Amino acid sequence: MKKSLLILLVLLLFLTFVTGCGNKEQEKGELNLYTWDGMFPPEILEGFEKETGYKINFSHFDYDEDMLAKLEETEGGDYDLVIADDYIIEVVIAEGLSQKLDTSKLKNYEQYNPVFMSQFYDPKNEYTVPYAAGIPLIVYNPAATDVEIKGYEDLWNPGLEDNVALIANYRVINGITLKTLGESFNTENLDTIKKAGEKLLQLAPNVRVINDSNTQDFILSGEVAAGFFYSSQVVAAKMANADLKIVYPEEGLGFGIMASFIPSKAPNAEAAYAFLDYINKPENAAKCYEYVGYYCANKGAEDLISAEMKDFLVLPADAAAGEIIQNVSAEAEQLHSEVWSQFRNACE
Amino acid sequence: MKKTFGHKLTIVYVAILTVLTYVPILLTVIYSFNESKLSTVWNGFSLKWYRELFRDSDLWEALLNSLILAGSSCLLAIVIGTTGALGMHGRKSKADKAVAGLSLMPIMIPEIILGMVFLAVFSFMNLPFGMLTLIIAHTTFCVPYVYSMVKARLVGMDKAYAEAALDLGATPVRVFFDITLPLILPAILSGAMLSFAMSFDDVVISIFVTGPKVNTLPIKIYTKVKTGVTPEINALATIMLVITALLLVGAAFINKIGVKEKSEKGERK
Amino acid sequence: MAKQSQGRKVKEAKGNRLLVLPIYIFTLLFVGLPFVYLFLLSFLKRAEVWGVDFTFTLENYKRIFSPMYLGNFADSLKLAFTSTICITLLGYPYGYIMARMNKQWKKRMLLLILIPFFTSAIIRLYGWIIVFRSNGVLDKILMGLGLTEKPLKLLYTYPAVVVGMIYALLPFMILAVYSSAEKLDYRLVEASRDLGASSWKAFWTVSFPLTLPGLLSGVVLTFVPSMGLFFIADLLGGNKIVLVGNVIQEQMTKGRNQPFAAALSVVLLILTWLILKLYRNIAGTSELEGIF
Repeated sequence: MKKSLLILLVLLLFLTFVTGCGNKEQEKGELNLYTWDGMFPPEILEGFEKETGYKINFSHFDYDEDMLAKLEETEGGDYDLVIADDYIIEVVIAEGLSQKLDTSKLKNYEQYNPVFMSQFYDPKNEYTVPYAAGIPLIVYNPAATDVEIKGYEDLWNPGLEDNVALIANYRVINGITLKTLGESFNTENLDTIKKAGEKLLQLAPNVRVINDSNTQDFILSGEVAAGFFYSSQVVAAKMANADLKIVYPEEGLGFGIMASFIPSKAPNAEAAYAFLDYINKPENAAKCYEYVGYYCANKGAEDLISAEMKDFLVLPADAAAGEIIQNVSAEAEQLHSEVWSQFRNACE
Repeated sequence: MKKTFGHKLTIVYVAILTVLTYVPILLTVIYSFNESKLSTVWNGFSLKWYRELFRDSDLWEALLNSLILAGSSCLLAIVIGTTGALGMHGRKSKADKAVAGLSLMPIMIPEIILGMVFLAVFSFMNLPFGMLTLIIAHTTFCVPYVYSMVKARLVGMDKAYAEAALDLGATPVRVFFDITLPLILPAILSGAMLSFAMSFDDVVISIFVTGPKVNTLPIKIYTKVKTGVTPEINALATIMLVITALLLVGAAFINKIGVKEKSEKGERK
Repeated sequence: MAKQSQGRKVKEAKGNRLLVLPIYIFTLLFVGLPFVYLFLLSFLKRAEVWGVDFTFTLENYKRIFSPMYLGNFADSLKLAFTSTICITLLGYPYGYIMARMNKQWKKRMLLLILIPFFTSAIIRLYGWIIVFRSNGVLDKILMGLGLTEKPLKLLYTYPAVVVGMIYALLPFMILAVYSSAEKLDYRLVEASRDLGASSWKAFWTVSFPLTLPGLLSGVVLTFVPSMGLFFIADLLGGNKIVLVGNVIQEQMTKGRNQPFAAALSVVLLILTWLILKLYRNIAGTSELEGIF
C-alpha cells in the first residue's frame, strides 16, 4: 500500500510535468476562445481547425461578470476572442480591455446586419462585431391553461397560479414589470423602480420556478403552463413541441446583442480574425444560428437557415423597435437587486 | 450477541439508504440510452450518445486534467493536513489554534466568493492562471478534510505505543511509519477520498482560477448542462460511474494484503 | 501519562515544530492572504459601473442588518440545521454499523456509499429532478399505487431542497463517524455489557461518547458547507428559497457588488464560527480539540 501510494505520487507528478511542459504547439498556433459553452456547433469548431490549422482552446464562463473579472486580472491578456453580452462590453471598452478592430482584415464585413450594429456599447463599431441577438419571450402551452396570453400583463393572471417559470435575470424581470407600467427597461427613477417592485410582488403566487438554464424543460415536462425565457430556450421548446405558442409581448420587447471583441493584449489576434472570418461565411453562420437558436446577425445566412427554423431565427421587422437593456446608475442597480430579493422571498 | 430484531433493522436501514442513494444514479444511467435529446421524453433505446461522447476529444483532455488536478491537490492535502494534525496534536498553542481555524475557512464560505478572492490574490502574486493556480486553490479546500479527519482520529488515541517504541530506542521516523501511520491511515484515506471527490467535482472555484488552456471535466459538464442536459452528459456520468466502481473495487482487492490489515491488527491485536 | 525523559521532550517538540511547518506556510499564504483581502474588500464601496472604489465605508455591513438580508441568514440557518439533523440521524448509524462490520463488509459498505460520490454532483441532482418533477418517477409510482390521484408538485419545494442537501453531504458524515468509530476499543463495550448494562445503555454510555469527536467533525463537515451551498436551492428549490449563498452569488455576478458580497461572506464566516463554538461548548471542550 505504501509502495503503491508512492508509485501513484510519482506517476501523478510525472503526468503534471508532462502536460505542463509538453504542450505541443501546432504550426499555426492557437486560438484562445472565451465564451459560453454551446455557442458553436462542434462541426464549426472542427471545421475551423481543419481549414486554418489553428488549434482552438475553448474556455467557458458562467456569467458576463466572471469574464470581466478575469479580463481585469489578466489585463486583457490570455484570451484572443471573447463573445459576451452587450452591456458588459460597454464596460470592457470603457476599461480599455478591448482592442480596436482592423475591419480591413475581415473578409465578409458587409454581411453583418446593420440593425445589430452602431449600438450603445460601441456606437462607431470600432471594437466589436455582432454575433447574435436574443429577445426574452413568453411561451405557453394552450393545452395546460385557459388563459390566453398576449403580453407580460397576462403573467399576473390569477388563472396561472403556481404555473409560471421565469428566467433569473432581474434586470429583465424587473424590466418587464416596468413595461407593464408603461415605463422603460432602463429607467433610473428610483420611485418608478419601487413601484414596479410592488407590482412584481403580486406576481409571486404565480411563480413556480426561477432559473436561467434549461428552462425549456419546465414547459416540456408539464411543470408549468407558461414561461418567460431567453429566445434560444423558447426556440428549443417550440422545436420539441409544435403545439406551444410563442408570444411577442404587446408591451414591447427587450433585446440583447451578443458581440465579439478581441481583448487588448490578446496573444494571437490573427487567430481571432481568422475565426471571425470563418464563422461569418454565410453557410457557416447559418449552421451556428440553427445550433444556438438566437437571432441571426448575418444577412447572407438568413436565406440558408432551414425553413422550419427561419421564423424564429430571423428577426421580425417590428422587433427592432425593442429596447436594449443597458447599464444603469449604481443606485438604480442596487434598488433593482433589492426589489428582486424581496420578490424571491415572497415566492417561497 | 443477539442477532434478531436489531440485526434485521440494520439490514432494512442499510438497504433503504442504498436504494435512495442509487435511484437518481440509476435514472441517469437509463437516460443515457435515450434516443431523444430531451430529458423529458423517452424515445427508445440508443447508443448514439456514447458514440458522440467518444468523438469529443476535448472531453477526454478535460478528464485527464481533472485526474491530474484531483490527484495532485489530494496528495498535497494529505501531506499538509496529516503533518499539521500530527504536529499540532497535544500542543496547546494559540498560534496552532489560529492556523487550524484559518485552514478550515475555505469550506466555510460559498465557493464563488472564494473563487473571486483567489483570482485577485493569485494575480497579485503574479501566478500564471492554469494548472498551478488550480492545484493551489483546490488544495486549500482539500486540507480541511484530511486535517479534521486525522485530528479526530488522533484525539484520545493511545499514545502508549509510540512512547513505548521511543523508550525502546526506535527513531521517530520509524515510530511514525511503523506505529503512528498505520493507526491514522484509515483517517488519512477517508480524508483523501473526500478531498479527491471534492476536487474532482469542483466547478465554481475552478472557473475562476483556470487559464485559457486548461479545462476540467466538471467545468465542461457544468457549462454543457447549462444549455441542456443531453443524454451525452448522462452517458459521461455513466462511464465515470463504471470507472469509479472498477477503480474502487480494484483498490479494495489490492488492499487485502495491504497496510489496512496491519493497522487493524495493531489496534485490536 | 508515562514519565518522559527531558531529552525526548525536546526532540518531540522540535519534531512537532517541523511537522506543522507545511500547514503554517500554506495556510498563511494561500488562505490567510485571501481572507485578509476579503476582509478589507468588505469595507470598500462598489464603483459606479464596475469594480471597487477605494473609500472606506461601513455601508455594506449596515445594509446586511436590514430585515430582508437577516431573513436570508435565518433561512440559511434553518436549512443548515434541518439538513444537519437529518444527515446525522441518517448517517451516524451507517458509519457506526460499518465500523462494527467485518473487514469484507466494511469494504462493501464503504464502496456502496463512495461510488456515487465520485460522479458529478450536478448530474446526480438532475437525477433527483427526474424523480421529483410533475409526472416524474415518484408521481408515477404514487399514482400507480393509487395513493395520489394527480401529480403532486414535489419539485421546487422545501423538502426537495433538504433531500438534495442530504444527498450531497451524507458521505461526509458517514466517513467522519466511521473513522472515529473504527478506532473504538470494543472491549470497553463488552466489559460494560458483562457488568450487566443493556446494549442501548452500553452504546450511550460507552460507545457514543467515544465516537463524539467523529460525529462532531461530521457535523462540521456537513453544517459548514450547507450554509454556503447555493446550487441545490437553485436546482431543486427553483430559486425560491433564498439563502445567503444565493445572495452572495448574485451580488458577485449580476449585482456587480463585490464589497457587499465580501461583507456578507464575512458575516457568514463569523456566524458559522460562533455556531461551531456553541457546538463545542455543548459537547464539552476537552474532547473536541481535534475539530477546531
